[in-house]
Amino acid sequence: MSTEVSTSPTSLIGQTVVPGDVVLDLSNMTNQTIKLGSGLRQDNDAISAMRAGKFRFSKPNKYWVESSHKRYIPRPEDTVLGIVVDSKSDNFWVDIKGPQLALLPVLAFEGGTRRNIPKFEVGTLLYVRVVKTNTGMNPEVSCTDASGKAAGFGPLKDGFMFETSTGLSRMLLSSPTCPVLEALGKKLSFETAFGLNGRVWVHAASPRVVIIVANALMNSETLSGTQQRIMVEKLLEKISE
Amino acid sequence: MEYVNPEGLRLDGRRFNEMRQIVAEVGVVSKADGSAVFEMGNTKVIAAVYGPREIQNKSLQKKNDHALVLCEYSMAQFSTGDRRRQKFDRRSTELSLVIRQTMEACILTELLPHSQIDIFLQVLQADGGTRSACINAATLALADAGIPMRDLAVSCSAGYLNSTPLLDLNYVEDSAGGADVTVGILPKLDKVTLLQMDAKLPMETFETVFALASEGCKAIAERIREVLQENTKQLEYRRAA
Amino acid sequence: MEGRVANMWRLTVNESKFVETALQSELRVDGRGLYDYRKLTIKFGKEYGSSEVQLGQTHVMGFVTAQLVQPYKDRPNEGSLSIFTEFSPMADPSFEPGRPGESAVELGRIIDRGLRESRAVDTESLCVLAGKMVWSVRIDLHILDNGGNLVDAANIAALAALMTFRRPDCTVGGENGQEVIIHPPEEREPLPLIIHHLPIAFTFGFFNKGNIVVMDPTYVEEAVMCGRMTVTVNANGDICAIQKPGEEGVSQTVILHCMRLASSRAAATTKIIREEVEAYNRERSLQKVKRHPTLAKSEVSGPTVAVKEEHRKSSDQEKAAEISREHVERLDLCSEEPRSNKEEEVTASPTNFKGGPSKWDPYSEAMDVDSLKASLASRGDSVTKSSSKKTTNGSENAEKDAEMSVEEVTGDLGKKDTIEATKQKDGEMTLKDAVKPKKKRKNKNN
Repeated sequence: MSTEVSTSPTSLIGQTVVPGDVVLDLSNMTNQTIKLGSGLRQDNDAISAMRAGKFRFSKPNKYWVESSHKRYIPRPEDTVLGIVVDSKSDNFWVDIKGPQLALLPVLAFEGGTRRNIPKFEVGTLLYVRVVKTNTGMNPEVSCTDASGKAAGFGPLKDGFMFETSTGLSRMLLSSPTCPVLEALGKKLSFETAFGLNGRVWVHAASPRVVIIVANALMNSETLSGTQQRIMVEKLLEKISE
Repeated sequence: MEYVNPEGLRLDGRRFNEMRQIVAEVGVVSKADGSAVFEMGNTKVIAAVYGPREIQNKSLQKKNDHALVLCEYSMAQFSTGDRRRQKFDRRSTELSLVIRQTMEACILTELLPHSQIDIFLQVLQADGGTRSACINAATLALADAGIPMRDLAVSCSAGYLNSTPLLDLNYVEDSAGGADVTVGILPKLDKVTLLQMDAKLPMETFETVFALASEGCKAIAERIREVLQENTKQLEYRRAA
Repeated sequence: MEGRVANMWRLTVNESKFVETALQSELRVDGRGLYDYRKLTIKFGKEYGSSEVQLGQTHVMGFVTAQLVQPYKDRPNEGSLSIFTEFSPMADPSFEPGRPGESAVELGRIIDRGLRESRAVDTESLCVLAGKMVWSVRIDLHILDNGGNLVDAANIAALAALMTFRRPDCTVGGENGQEVIIHPPEEREPLPLIIHHLPIAFTFGFFNKGNIVVMDPTYVEEAVMCGRMTVTVNANGDICAIQKPGEEGVSQTVILHCMRLASSRAAATTKIIREEVEAYNRERSLQKVKRHPTLAKSEVSGPTVAVKEEHRKSSDQEKAAEISREHVERLDLCSEEPRSNKEEEVTASPTNFKGGPSKWDPYSEAMDVDSLKASLASRGDSVTKSSSKKTTNGSENAEKDAEMSVEEVTGDLGKKDTIEATKQKDGEMTLKDAVKPKKKRKNKNN
């Protein structure tokens, strides 16, 4: 398998591509199955990019374009932060920064029955999982994991929420832990939730820590790992003075 | 031009701290839920309040759990010496906004969720101080309509001409180019909600003019109280009879 | 209706609660102190009378134009000054296209009152032929990005544009002495407007039933706050306009406190505007002299860029250090011993006024060539544009620095040479200047 991959036009992997770039030619990649991720489009034998970003490949056969946006296109199994917009008898309408509002069924909670429907006022921040994203329908989200357990999903109390880009939230979620979080976590204690839709929630005992962490995270988007560490170090040094 | 003569009298014979004659009456528009006419010298304003009633245009609603207050200020074509050109100019738009927000501060909007209160204000005769007269008329009309209020919002203006602070400017004094301070207060809470000023004034002078206008507001509040008390008595008397 | 709901910007309960609780311990979400201003940047365009002001994320463009018109009947020998605002949905989805909304009208009126009623611009000198021809000056204010506190930013944009505006010189002549001859700029030096003083607007936000006051509220703070007041003051401590349009009542002492704060700030902001305008004027007059081929740069990139470049460091290490330093500076403000050192800094180096250095926006500031490569094409047009500008700045860094020093030297020479010219063009106007052109005209009429 891997040998075949090397013969295909992989030179573009890791490179930046712009919409319209043909990234793969299927005619010389016969008898192999590939999986296309976001930002790629098939046009007969040519696979071309639809979005500008970095062309990525993951073994054995996944290709996608990595980019950072302010808008979020919902995908099943993504965890996102949503804001309650309206509540109806069957669903909560939740804003997940996507093209449509998402629906959160009132029963999509751990042990949810008609009798214990939670009450959310407009503006409540929820940590939810995207379940369905069928075209022509509003995406559906849920406050349980796949096995019906709460697993940390649900409303987020207090703390501060800010909006960044999808790229930054992906970076913060990546493993191993993002350097900025690691460095901050050594000195400060705080709680965070990152949604793949670019929303970040930070909570700590004192508002001061929340503000420090929030601003450090926002500033870290364009910094490399070392830069992040240095930035946090200097920051913490200044605070402890 | 001399606006205050050596004896300390103004063009219309008032003293610097003397207000024009106030005539006020409630219940003048039979169709409206509450209405009032307010006269200050030659300035005459009519106010009509409709509501609380069902919200007509949902898209205007910003806060879910508060009443929606709408206000329309207009000057009659015949209210000034020369005929006015358009009905909704920039000045009227701004005044509508300012009066609406002043009235919002005194209405207990949280007690009337999902409802709308309309305030219509029409200037019948303009001789300076129309915005103050409008606020006073609106307060009376709201009280007449029985809408729950924190306090009576009252307003009064003061100016500064010939190095003398003057209370309640008329049109000639207003257009003289001196400073003009309009103050709106909640007298019992002793809070300032509306404050508008133009032209140039040094800090200390401003403070004296501001204080004079606030005193004027309190005097008007007294007068408005009397009118409302009189009205209530009348109602009681009629019921008894 | 659903469509509208989906496109609205929403505030979470968490945000509004946090903003309020943080303010109770005198902290603001972007790390500023209660009375700190965001970073102010003023840029000028290639043409006379255009300015671009950036206050944190808020971005406003001002443009001044003039036209000869018939005067108003009640003021036959005065020119006019009018302000138009453009709130396009581009800057904020809550702005609706079409007729200016309430907030657009209010913003225009606040600035209008501050400038006109306080007679900041000498309108009498705009008269060409009494009762027949006067200059009508129009200020257009375009909101390009709404990051909160549009009034202050728009006000500064209007002032900066007015100060750099030049109208063509014109004389009355012809057979009957009633014809107006407009001299093209090649023939006669265009004239600046006469500005007596600079009324500067400061907006305050009230929180917690009017007990907490902040200066220069951001977008999020504007959504949370319960009241707002704009105080327009000039550097002499005169109050030129106030606008507190209803909303939550506050006590008199709070209002007077805000006014004192505003007048203490006015001098510093006036200085920034004057310095930027002077630097721009200097650059323009140098361009006109054309003593050096390298100086004939057509790009008037504005002095602010140059200042920034001096600070710019290329290596990764230093850049990160800088960001963290600025970050800390911000946080420093919210620590126990707040603004004392801050104010020193302001007086020491007013050009990079850090009344709250908000490097809030990571894209426009913290972008360099490396990071550009790393996350190329990440978000749309605007960033690509700004970052590409940065790229050129970075590569030409050394070159430009050298140029700058040359400019500085020749700048002094040029100043001496064209001392007459600069005197007229400088932002500093005296009443004498206001009288001069009138006299000239009278003589000609005679």
